[in-house]
Amino acid sequence: MPKKYTNCAGLAGLLAALVIVPHFLKYHHQDFLIFLTINVLVVSSYRLVTLTGEWSLIHAVMMGVGAYASTLLTKSAGLSFWISLPLAGCVAGAVAAILCFPLFRMTQFYFLIGSFAAGEAIRLCWIHFIQPFGGTGGISGIPFPELGNIDFLEPVPYFYLVLVIVTLCLVLLYRIEKSRIGLTLRAVHWKAPLAESVGVDTWKYRSLAFIIGSAFVGIAGSLKVHYLGTVTPNQYGIGFMVFILIWVIVGGYATFYGAIIGVVVLSILDESFRGFEELRPAIYGLILIASILFLPSGLESVPERIRGWVSNRAAARNGPGIQG
Amino acid sequence: MDLLEIRQVTKVFGGLTALNEVSFHVKSGNIHGLIGPNGAGKSTMFKNISGFSTPTSGDIFFNGHSIKGRKPSEIAHLGVARTFQETTLFQELTVLENALVGAHKRAKTNIFSAIFNLDRHIQQECMEKTLSMLDFMGLAERKNQLASELPLGSQRALAITIALASEPVVLLMDEPFAGMNPEETRHMMGLTEKVRQSGVTIVLVEHDMKAVMGICDYLTVLNFGSLLAEGTPDAIRHDAKVIRAYLGNTEAM
Amino acid sequence: MDLLVQSIVNGFIQSGFFALYAVGLVLIFGVMGVVNFAHGELVMVGAYTVWFLHAQHGVPFLWTILIAIVIVTAIGMAMERFLFRPKRNDPLGGLICSIGVLFILQIAATLIGGDGPSKQVPPPYQGTFVLFESLRIPVQRVFSIAVSLAALVALWLFLTRSKMGWALRAVAQDREASSLQGINTNRISMIAISIGAAMAGLAGALTAPLTNINPHMGHNIIITAFIVTIVGGVGSLSGAVLAAVLYALFHTMVTTYFSATIATISGLLIMVLVLIIKPTGIMGRSVSD
Repeated sequence: MPKKYTNCAGLAGLLAALVIVPHFLKYHHQDFLIFLTINVLVVSSYRLVTLTGEWSLIHAVMMGVGAYASTLLTKSAGLSFWISLPLAGCVAGAVAAILCFPLFRMTQFYFLIGSFAAGEAIRLCWIHFIQPFGGTGGISGIPFPELGNIDFLEPVPYFYLVLVIVTLCLVLLYRIEKSRIGLTLRAVHWKAPLAESVGVDTWKYRSLAFIIGSAFVGIAGSLKVHYLGTVTPNQYGIGFMVFILIWVIVGGYATFYGAIIGVVVLSILDESFRGFEELRPAIYGLILIASILFLPSGLESVPERIRGWVSNRAAARNGPGIQG
Repeated sequence: MDLLEIRQVTKVFGGLTALNEVSFHVKSGNIHGLIGPNGAGKSTMFKNISGFSTPTSGDIFFNGHSIKGRKPSEIAHLGVARTFQETTLFQELTVLENALVGAHKRAKTNIFSAIFNLDRHIQQECMEKTLSMLDFMGLAERKNQLASELPLGSQRALAITIALASEPVVLLMDEPFAGMNPEETRHMMGLTEKVRQSGVTIVLVEHDMKAVMGICDYLTVLNFGSLLAEGTPDAIRHDAKVIRAYLGNTEAM
Repeated sequence: MDLLVQSIVNGFIQSGFFALYAVGLVLIFGVMGVVNFAHGELVMVGAYTVWFLHAQHGVPFLWTILIAIVIVTAIGMAMERFLFRPKRNDPLGGLICSIGVLFILQIAATLIGGDGPSKQVPPPYQGTFVLFESLRIPVQRVFSIAVSLAALVALWLFLTRSKMGWALRAVAQDREASSLQGINTNRISMIAISIGAAMAGLAGALTAPLTNINPHMGHNIIITAFIVTIVGGVGSLSGAVLAAVLYALFHTMVTTYFSATIATISGLLIMVLVLIIKPTGIMGRSVSD
């Protein structure tokens, strides 16, 4: 119990800090904070998909589905942001539900390639069907949210909006993972036939994780476009998918917070490379390779490693003393 | 009463007939042994009963209803559970979590109940039942250990616990005594008997003849995919066809 | 009608490139179990080599083809030694490493060639064959299809006639069984990636005078290679070559009569369809339960 309370206090402190900090930041750092918070939702929703052990390459495109849905709903259909935000999630979830039929007839390598192909096909549709998706140039002039006389053009109010929605989504995702559903998803990952033998419909659970994960990343997509004001097919291509993979893998995928650590640490590092703009992808590539080779359990395992290292040192120092 | 009826089941793959018109019945409350030399088709039969494979022809009835062609998860819902050869567990989950997954049928939930904790009492009840089940199988003290850290005997017991947690009517056990020393085998035989006494009908595939003879009420013997003999352990022990099949040829006798 | 004949001929020429991409990907996946996401970038490096040495510095074209093959093969061997070998039992780790390489190669190309517009290499072989009035084939294209065919035939001879080729095919068909039979997996993997990378380098060098060269050209190449590999049947080289011909014809036709985007979308859909209906591909063996 006490540990639970310290965790709660820690989270409350973190939230309080996030509420205060933006006021002391420069404009472009406030921007950075908004996109970082949205990306936290992206990796956390991806984590739910990977809980069943299937690594999809379509998550970025699903975010795009939410982004395009929200764009069209507000700009063409004239709906308010507050309605199109949850609807964007629903649309992404629905597209995912349709894709389940072909995709989950495959596993592992085939699923990976199949999801890549399906995502690329969707993305090429955005490029090809200029009506309504706007082709390569995408769509711009996407309306900002409206609520009373709050100015969501300003980064700070928009950041608060993002913070509230992302926090809410993270709570939901966390509860799903810690519930019986999360347990069943992990069981499907480790031994699908055994799970089947006690009545788990593995196809259904793989699909469920995929649909829910896609719905949440659809919401993230909606949050992103209503701040950026534009949406293009290339924002949600394999390039962004690779970043998602890097964040999750460098952060680690054994715990809920691993991926979040990954996205936060790497984004802050990335922000500090701003001098060498054109080298950034290569630096990312090196970090990725280094972490796969030397830190296969991700950043989340670092505290444990340090603890192990310190206690080994202590043991080495004390060892002879005890004997002597 | 016949709980499980195998009627004329044939399974062909890649031109090879693994099962050839095999028929037998399993009576409720029995421990029913399915034996035969290597390659006799025992495991194939298990796969067909539990839905991991579908018979080429013939039919399988459970409680009078055909279960041929159903998915494994559906068959599990009807009340047929199975264990696997070797030790198939969720190695990376704890003992308690393993058993909880087994209770899927009773405790499965939907996304809203999961988020808002609406089925608290069901999950609570499931947890209590699972804990008492672990107690019953002698695993209560190890409940927070990872499944992969258990010794072999306990791993087998956990495999049975997972299956039992699904509250089956019939439990199919695939080689429960394989790789065990005599003492572990004796312990496992005790457990099996205990499970039967709790009201579960058991079908087991096994090589260890001594254990099979000691524990089963009734035996079905397969050879090269066909039914060779049926009867009580005593009758089977003295059946000339069975002896011949096991020893390869008559001269060896 | 003329357009039809012309696009069939173009399709056949294109199929040589598609086969070179896919054969490498199939070899690497079949033998090493790694999906090499950087395969398109290996082709790109080959094309950049020709652009840099031939178009910029006047080194003879044929020499630059050889140099491109050597450079790309060296990159492939380094990937095997330093990335794939340590991650032999972790296919996901290998795949992620190849994505890291993809980024690095793209940036390397940007650094060498600058960020500007796509590069062009003037065709070293001028002139066209006029078969009949309406059918003209540039000599450069004839050269490239001839060399691709020669490379594929050489590969085929190597795989079917040499002992090493036999071992490669054995590993590609069943990795575990072969390692049990005492085949040295590290050595075979090194050979597989060398051949695969060499083919990619050759494809890049040959394609250089015929296409726009930019750091991101690998993207379309890897998509093509995936489609061809999956449709042909993962692990089947003859399937990959057959699929390359079919897909190149299909892609050229659809591009001629509709658009390149539609061609790629339908290619991807066909690939998903194959994955659903017959995951072993058109030439793959069916797997019984």
